[in-house]
Amino acid sequence: MNRPSAALQWIVYLVLGAGAAIMLIPFFWMISTSLMKAGNELTLPPKLLPDPVMWSNYKTVWLEVNFVRYTMNSVFVTVLELIGMVASCAIVAYGLAFFQFRGRNLIFLAMLGTMMLPSQITMIPTYFIWKSFGALNTFYPLILRSFLGGAFGIFLLHQFFKTLPRELFDAAYVDGANPWKIFYMIYVPLSKPALSALAVFTFISAWNNTLEPLIYLQDKKMYTLPLGLLFLKNEVENRMTLIMAGAVITVLPVLIVFLFAQKHFVQGIASTGMKG
Amino acid sequence: MRKQGYWGFIFTFPFLLQLVVFFIFPFLFSLYLTFTKWDLFNPPQWVGLKNWIQFLSRETFWLSLRNILYFSVLFIPLQTAFALILAYLLNRQIAGKALFRMVYFLPVITPWVAGGMIWLWIYHNDYGILNWLLERLRLSPVDWVRSGHWWIVIGSIAVVNIWKGAGYSMVLILAGMQNISNEMVEAARMDGASGWTLFAKITLPIVSPMVYMVMILSTISAFHAFDVFLVMLGDITAVADRNMVPNILIYRDAFMNFKMGGASAMAWGLFLIILAATLMQKKLEKRWVHYE
Repeated sequence: MNRPSAALQWIVYLVLGAGAAIMLIPFFWMISTSLMKAGNELTLPPKLLPDPVMWSNYKTVWLEVNFVRYTMNSVFVTVLELIGMVASCAIVAYGLAFFQFRGRNLIFLAMLGTMMLPSQITMIPTYFIWKSFGALNTFYPLILRSFLGGAFGIFLLHQFFKTLPRELFDAAYVDGANPWKIFYMIYVPLSKPALSALAVFTFISAWNNTLEPLIYLQDKKMYTLPLGLLFLKNEVENRMTLIMAGAVITVLPVLIVFLFAQKHFVQGIASTGMKG
Repeated sequence: MRKQGYWGFIFTFPFLLQLVVFFIFPFLFSLYLTFTKWDLFNPPQWVGLKNWIQFLSRETFWLSLRNILYFSVLFIPLQTAFALILAYLLNRQIAGKALFRMVYFLPVITPWVAGGMIWLWIYHNDYGILNWLLERLRLSPVDWVRSGHWWIVIGSIAVVNIWKGAGYSMVLILAGMQNISNEMVEAARMDGASGWTLFAKITLPIVSPMVYMVMILSTISAFHAFDVFLVMLGDITAVADRNMVPNILIYRDAFMNFKMGGASAMAWGLFLIILAATLMQKKLEKRWVHYE
């Protein structure tokens, strides 16, 4: 009974290890190529490790191709989106979770409906809206919407608020605290885990967003990192070492955030089953 | 109590605004646009059913539909199977569970543009690692994403999409597997159930709702896929008709050719197809999904 199960365990490790290698090899090759001397990436057989190690690729991409600018734009947009999304979702979810009012169920239903509606349908009218506000080629279309909440975040926080004791609300209310005060004095501090889960989700989806920047940003100075990387090819005439250095710069911040906050992220998905 | 209603309205107001401005208005306006000719600068002109007839008789649209269906047929079952196997293995008593889970999840959080760039490099005709491997195995190299065969191009892209999404599906299925009680597994073991029977008779039925959800989500994500094609197909203005996919076609028509009416009609056509596909899956659900 023992022997076959030990063999089985080895097979399990083998399959998991092979799968992990497939997941990781692209990253390995990205980093390796990003550190190669120009021309060394174009050899057969391919060099797996850089020799010599060229840190200057990063300097070139960062300063000459202006990734420092794209990074700053990405940080700016992402941080504002994050603040807007977390704050507005918390407020709306609080309203839905603690107050009885006409149309509440309808709002809840409509919220779930917005997750089903494909973005292709709303894309053109949304572009028209921002155009009529004269907001093309600004960061407004990327940022402002998040201040009006999003279905995923509201749903996540609503489910969380439902687990908190309602008696706290009633007691504070009877004591004369107004609902706004109850919200930020009692429920916000209690909801830190859910709020940080939403923050991580928002960070990653805002940082990785490509379609909206592509539609709304024309001026190169406004580009965020994904857009900068997308058009880097033309600027460096397909030099893979520089493109991969750009890719590393784009990926690194999400990797760092993920390493620190992966628990929130994985649990957030497992508990709601939805994408941010 | 009446006062509470007033507060509820205040707190939910931001989302009401979002709903009206960014969902209800665009939904109706987009439907209206499908019957117009509009370049964004001059007022829309009513053209009746012309846009609908035009895209239905347009070869590129049907090619794009063929490609996305082929993409889905590869992507959805393979990703689900891959995620199911990984989740099953990771649900066992093994060392380094957390590390494995993290590794499989890494591509999920990677920005599409960066992930796509890496894979373009892997798929490179002359210096890509994949063709080098083929040569070592004495096989002839393949032109992956630059191939003249549409099914190789779209297939190569589907592989990247699986790489990117499998970890996400895995987490969902893993969450479902954690509902399986040890007692049930032990009882089945006592009755002499082997590993395979255990998987087929206990694990699979119990996680079937999660597997179902993963398939629905993958279907939707396949039809929504934009970034992956944006990066992998290269210059959007020069994508060959045989390699076209609906979302790139809609984007190109709308924002590069300023045919807002035609693009809207295609978006609606695609929406109706996704809806039909989802409803069909819903109908098939009863056949194999077990709820407690």
